[in-house]
Amino acid sequence: MAADVPVQERRPPVWLRWGVALLSVAVAAALTTGPGGERLFPEPPERFVHGVTLLYASAILSAWLGGIGPGLVAAVLAALVIDWFITPPLYSISLDFDFALRIAVFALSAVLVGSLGLRRQRMEDALRLSRHELEVKVEERTADLTRSNQQLHGEIAARRRAESTLREQAALLDLTHDSVFVRDEQGVILYWNRGAEELYGWTKAEALGSVAPARLQTVFPVPLEEIMAELTRTGRWEGEIVHTRHDGTPLTVASRWSFRRAAPGRPAAILETNNDITERKQAEDALHHARAELAHVSRVTTLGELAASIAHEINQPLAAIVADASACLNWLDADDSPIDQVREALAAVVSDGNRAAAVLTRIRAMLGRSSVARRRCQIGAIIADVLPLVRPELSRHGILLQTAVASDVPAVLVDRIQIQQVFINLLVNAADAMRDLPTERRRLSIRAAREALDDGAWAVVAVEDAGMGLGEVEPEHVFEAFYTTKPGGLGMGLSISRSIITSHGGRLWATANTAHGVTFHIALPASS
Amino acid sequence: MESTEPIIFVVDDDQSVRDSLRRLLRSVGLAVQAFPSAQAFLSSPRADSPGCLVLDVRLPGPSGLDLQRELLIADRPLPIVFLTGHGDIPTSVKAMKAGAVEFLTKPFREQDLLDAIRQAIERDRADRRERQELADLRRRYDSLTPRERDVMGGVVAGRLNKQIAAEFGTSQATVKEQRGQVMLKMQADSLAELVRIATRLHVPTRGSGSA
Repeated sequence: MAADVPVQERRPPVWLRWGVALLSVAVAAALTTGPGGERLFPEPPERFVHGVTLLYASAILSAWLGGIGPGLVAAVLAALVIDWFITPPLYSISLDFDFALRIAVFALSAVLVGSLGLRRQRMEDALRLSRHELEVKVEERTADLTRSNQQLHGEIAARRRAESTLREQAALLDLTHDSVFVRDEQGVILYWNRGAEELYGWTKAEALGSVAPARLQTVFPVPLEEIMAELTRTGRWEGEIVHTRHDGTPLTVASRWSFRRAAPGRPAAILETNNDITERKQAEDALHHARAELAHVSRVTTLGELAASIAHEINQPLAAIVADASACLNWLDADDSPIDQVREALAAVVSDGNRAAAVLTRIRAMLGRSSVARRRCQIGAIIADVLPLVRPELSRHGILLQTAVASDVPAVLVDRIQIQQVFINLLVNAADAMRDLPTERRRLSIRAAREALDDGAWAVVAVEDAGMGLGEVEPEHVFEAFYTTKPGGLGMGLSISRSIITSHGGRLWATANTAHGVTFHIALPASS
Repeated sequence: MESTEPIIFVVDDDQSVRDSLRRLLRSVGLAVQAFPSAQAFLSSPRADSPGCLVLDVRLPGPSGLDLQRELLIADRPLPIVFLTGHGDIPTSVKAMKAGAVEFLTKPFREQDLLDAIRQAIERDRADRRERQELADLRRRYDSLTPRERDVMGGVVAGRLNKQIAAEFGTSQATVKEQRGQVMLKMQADSLAELVRIATRLHVPTRGSGSA
């Protein structure tokens, strides 16, 4: 660093200043008066003129070099030398006017020259000082610059590091199997990882800058506004969405969104991580389908087993009856009929006939569940119970269901479960009847109304389909047990339904519609 | 033909069916023994007379099909007429494949049952005759000396007396005499009959095709 150099030290030392003053005067005096002077300037007048000039010069030199003090001393000494050696009378000091004038001129000149020198000296000093200050400043400035330069280097290095970290992280994102992309609030894709390239079939270059929902033909499970609302509220959203690949195949993805709020110099962005669950989804659908199939099969199997067991129960006594009756005929054909044996066989026929009847009674009791609690119910409520159970079946067959329950339908006193079974039976039958129809005809309507019949108010429900209808079959015939049009059907549904309604004091009947299909009517007496 | 009366065995767990079957079969003059289960039938002694089994498929304990299998394994063959409460095609196919005579669904027509029973008895008679004849032939064969059996094997293989004599190192006259013994003991009138008997008994033939 540049030290603060003192100005005084830059001037000639004190001995030099005073020495020059004394020496210069002595030399000038010697040259004027001594033998040297006589040799240089042989003529006295010339010698004196040059002597005075020399002395004068010595005074000025002293003032120049030594400043005002030495200049004044040299001036006085020079004046004394001139008075002593040059001005007559020689070799005496006459303190007259000439002397005073001479001293004054010499002194004035010395002071003038000394002060000029001093001034110059000071200016030089000032100059030196300011140059020095300038240097200091330049140094400081240079140091500053170096500092900021280093800082800049540091920043650049840090930035490089950050960039390489970012690159590494982006490379890591490319390693994941998940498809990851980032888009702004308008859906413009800002980042697209390798997983996304593989999943969707667009390269990074193709994807960047395009609008995600349009490119992927996104189908959202709920309106996008709801998703965005949740995203802005919680910063996250998760759900299943459907996208379309580059090759046009649709895929279902489990999607997770993270929201980065906008900040100064930073736009809002949404990070979307998607997992392909198409296969899982398909497997789930297949499983669901298989389960439904299984349920259906097991229901049919159960009914089949029930039918087999009923058949066995009935066929046993029938076989005995036929065998006994045949035996009787054989005996009666003989010449000598064993009457006792015929009687025994006929008694067995009677008992087996009764046994067969008992079996039927038992089955009916079992199916009819006669001992049940009956409660006051609204027909509309029972219909509402049933709809969630049958709606999947109806929508699976693309059937449109219309329900109209009048406000004045009277309450009924029923076993709610049994009436539900009747409704389910009628609705499922109707769905089956319309399975092979064109879609626009698959309409099913349930209407409940109050009707005043002979003995009071009734709740009447009409279940109307637009199916194949009854054809040539008498409407009453469909209520007979084991009447069925369905392959694998048992033909018990309508028969049991009717016995349920009848046991409630009501009526169940069918009418053919004028255009298509059948309407089933359930009439139940109002509970008093 | 057969002097002994055929017996019809009825196995059905339903008593009224069992009783009615007994009455029906008796009414046409058939002898009947009825059992409520497969075990009861198997544990009862059986008379040595032709007969058949009228068997319900569905039985408590071993089923009708189990009993059918058991009889086959135990080598106590008896033609079977199956009865079932309801037609079940896989079961009937299984039963028929295992040799059942008929598979009737309850309630059955009397004539169908009697026809099936008659057919079954005929089959049992034929089987029994066959078994009897085989036993007779076996007894005759067992009465041959070892050398006679060897000679019989050579004869039914179509070899000449000379060849047989050469093989055993005896004279043709000896072979001729032994051959006469074989024909006598086996009660065969001709070589053709002897060959037929040998085939039924699976008699080993000797040296066929080589000299």
